[in-house]
Amino acid sequence: MHVDHVLTTCPYCGTGCRFYLQVVDGRLVGVVPCKTDEISQGKLCIKGYNAHAFVQHPDRLTHPMVREDGQLRKATWDEALDKVVSEIKRITAEHGPDSVIVLASAKCTNEENYLFQKLARAAIGTNNVDHCARLCHASTVAGLLMSFGSGAMTNTIPEFEDADCVLVTGSNTLEAHPLIGARILRAQDKGAKIVVVDPRDTPLSRIAYSSIRQKPGTDIAWINGMIKIIIDEGLHDEGFIKDHTSGFEDLKRIVQPYTPERVEEITSIPKERLIDAARTYASAERAMIAYAMGVTQHTNGTNIVRALANLAMVTGNVGRESTGVNPLRGQCNVQGACDAGGLPDLFPGYQKVEDADARKKFEAAWGKPLPPNKGTTLTCAFKDALIGKVKAMIIFGENPMLSDPDIAHVEEAIKELEFLAVTEIFPTATTKLAHVVLAGACYAEKDGTFTSTDRAIRPVHKAIDPPGEARPDWQIACELGRRLGASGFDFSSPSEIMDEMARLAPPYGGISHARADREVLRWPCPSKDHKGTPVLHVGGFKIGKGVLVPVDHAPPAEQTSEEYPFILTTGRNLFQFHTGTMTRRSPKLEREAPEPYVEVNTTDAKRLGISDGGRVRVSSRRGEISLKARVTGWIMPGVIFIPFHYAEAAANRLTNPALDPVAKIPEFKVCAAQLEKA
Amino acid sequence: MNDLGRRLARIAFDERGADILLMMAENQGNVGPVIISKGQDPGDARIDVPYQLVAILTNLLPFIGKAKVAILCRRCDEKALIELAKRGIVDDASMVRIGLACSKEQIQACRCSDCVPSKVDIGEAAEPCPEDALAIELGSMTIEQRAAFWMRQFRKCNKCFGCTLNCPVCFCDDCVLEERTYTPKEGIPPELAFHLIRSFHLADKCVECGECERSCPVDIPLLTLRKMVNRDMKNMFDYGSGDAEKKSPLLTTLDDQPLEDDGHAC
Ligand code: SF4
Ligand code: SF4
Ligand code: SF4
Repeated sequence: MHVDHVLTTCPYCGTGCRFYLQVVDGRLVGVVPCKTDEISQGKLCIKGYNAHAFVQHPDRLTHPMVREDGQLRKATWDEALDKVVSEIKRITAEHGPDSVIVLASAKCTNEENYLFQKLARAAIGTNNVDHCARLCHASTVAGLLMSFGSGAMTNTIPEFEDADCVLVTGSNTLEAHPLIGARILRAQDKGAKIVVVDPRDTPLSRIAYSSIRQKPGTDIAWINGMIKIIIDEGLHDEGFIKDHTSGFEDLKRIVQPYTPERVEEITSIPKERLIDAARTYASAERAMIAYAMGVTQHTNGTNIVRALANLAMVTGNVGRESTGVNPLRGQCNVQGACDAGGLPDLFPGYQKVEDADARKKFEAAWGKPLPPNKGTTLTCAFKDALIGKVKAMIIFGENPMLSDPDIAHVEEAIKELEFLAVTEIFPTATTKLAHVVLAGACYAEKDGTFTSTDRAIRPVHKAIDPPGEARPDWQIACELGRRLGASGFDFSSPSEIMDEMARLAPPYGGISHARADREVLRWPCPSKDHKGTPVLHVGGFKIGKGVLVPVDHAPPAEQTSEEYPFILTTGRNLFQFHTGTMTRRSPKLEREAPEPYVEVNTTDAKRLGISDGGRVRVSSRRGEISLKARVTGWIMPGVIFIPFHYAEAAANRLTNPALDPVAKIPEFKVCAAQLEKA
Repeated sequence: MNDLGRRLARIAFDERGADILLMMAENQGNVGPVIISKGQDPGDARIDVPYQLVAILTNLLPFIGKAKVAILCRRCDEKALIELAKRGIVDDASMVRIGLACSKEQIQACRCSDCVPSKVDIGEAAEPCPEDALAIELGSMTIEQRAAFWMRQFRKCNKCFGCTLNCPVCFCDDCVLEERTYTPKEGIPPELAFHLIRSFHLADKCVECGECERSCPVDIPLLTLRKMVNRDMKNMFDYGSGDAEKKSPLLTTLDDQPLEDDGHAC
């Protein structure tokens, strides 16, 4: 018998907890949390403890498949890879390289995402590369880049426990980022005041100092309202505003009309509560803002992010420990997938593809001329597929058939494609439509790094071999690159890939696998002797001054009507993760939350004769699903909530694909819906 | 391998004939559990990071077969192995216990009153810490205040199951806390029953190792709770876990006769 304890990083949320996988003779038997890790400190949530459970599930894809006469059949790697390459070559020859899009993956490593974008840019010749960050934090990246010059979490996870006030909005932190939620609770135990603004009561808001419910889609109104109160009461930080920001006069003007009374009218937040929240936040010595999808997934998501940045800047809560604006990223490596350049407008390290100097640098490094124009986004790619502009898609480890808004429309778009290749670990709704399916390796079967939501580079180590003939995505990307005739795809290990990325992406300049194993390094880490940067913007913004961008409230894209009187909002629960591909195959997680449900307010339920546990039908302008009702006082009247994990009642059959004009993120958090007893 | 590691290996393999050794070691800056057989280099041995090795071992038991296991053992681990042996989960006789005396700091952190293993192989015996300050404070409160304190604590629980998964004497295959009979609610926090059932289910087993408290992400003072229940067990039944001679009073018939059955169902 041989037993190993292999230290690696959790494949679920972006907290980046580390644990040892217990391996007995090639079998994963358990998880032991790592006590010396700075972030997780020997603790995990239930998902982490069960992170071994899905890995060796019998449903795993174990070999490549190609479609023949309408059916997927087993194929050799050569056959499958050659098929992908010949189709891509044929389609680019006919329609040009921009008819292809590569979807990178927030579940894959930094090294793999680096290769995916290199594959698109250097081997295929298009900037059409994107990933599901488009669906969660595209508005963060766009908004914070403009306000602060950097689109990531300004501070770190451990700092939460030393804040004096934490303003949490649009984040069900204890369920979606349990170990970050735990740090916030620790702050509260030490005397901090926690203010939660959310249309739903969450496990965190129920024990927080103040829990405030706003009508979905009215965030800018309450944030501007808080800024107005702060300025009117003289609680703003004049020194910081003068030294470190620009645009204060415009901001002051735009927030003037947001009196507590008017904010109450728009948001239904009682004005005393708003005034108290503003005073609590502004008078704290160190105040942190944490937010997630409840902020970003709106048609004005980018503006809400800017409004939060304004709030932090007018109170001087940037550039110090336990302050800042902190987007909590949802997947293990959604931060890294952005860092590594899995975005249509940015090279690795957030260098713009439209910037001639940046392009020259990458052209020199990759030995190929690169396309000068931004590529198309994931959300636009489906629209482009419908009109025949996008003809082929290579998807690494994503499941747009459950994760994207308005699934019916996505399916139609995918069916229009001439060619779809998908790399996956399990069969999904998306692999069903593919022409070629490539069997990938999961996190426990490969080496590499993830970047956690607080910019820490977290090593992933191989504990076992992939099942059957499955291969790690980095090897698959290398094979595709080579077979497409490109040079620079001859890597023999992920650590070599990181070395190349470090040479080209300045924030990662000092990162190597050897260092990441021994130290918690947070980018920017420009050189080998640099210790990393826990707190961003210390001593001022690199762009000179932080930009106070005046933003106004605008109603959501879709309004309720007589026919669709409810506001539907979507999200996660603690026990399931995203489209459930992994968690629903983990018995202990599935047992905790086995069924789809819709949360309905008690008074609404009574009026409609809906009982707790009874079946209901929920419909929107795009589709209809049937599921169980969970009747609760924890949600506002007029608002309903559905977790998006369940294929049998997919919330995204209903959601609105309307996009934020800047970030192209869809409005998952608000759509008009009808609710009836089934 | 450092000196400590060499010493552990010598005791386990050369002196006491073990096939495998379970201990802690540092690799690339992090300390974790390792299992080695003779001649293997696990990295530098460490004793200052308290992994719950008995809990780690029980997870591996189905795979270990007949191998003779040596395990680095604090006083609480020793008691846990006794409780497991009493219930037929491990064969205490076939195990090699390498006695580890905890450091002063660890004893303070655990508020531990029984901290010296029966045989000290590693470390030096230090003074016990008699009091748990929070237990004393709670003892001086009214019942209502105490209830309010625990309710406030339990409302933070996010049902990670860390307190059971890492507990050396939680060993049921099907945990009653995982099914819906007593905790029907989906979502968090779990009902009060979650904590009360766990509390009572361990009343005659808990060895106060403190691992539940260390594992709890939301800092619920679970070890204090354990100490208070254990004190009641002592006062009411004159019973303390980790005593090889004494049968659990909870496994006794109501006419005071010990049950004949070994009772390893719970
Ligand atoms: S908090 Fe996130 S990273 Fe940590 S164990 Fe849970 S899912 Fe994994
Ligand atoms: S202290 Fe906690 S972990 Fe240790 S034996 Fe008692 S209940 Fe189990
Ligand atoms: S360890 Fe703490 S949070 Fe986790 S289940 Fe136990 S009491 Fe709850």
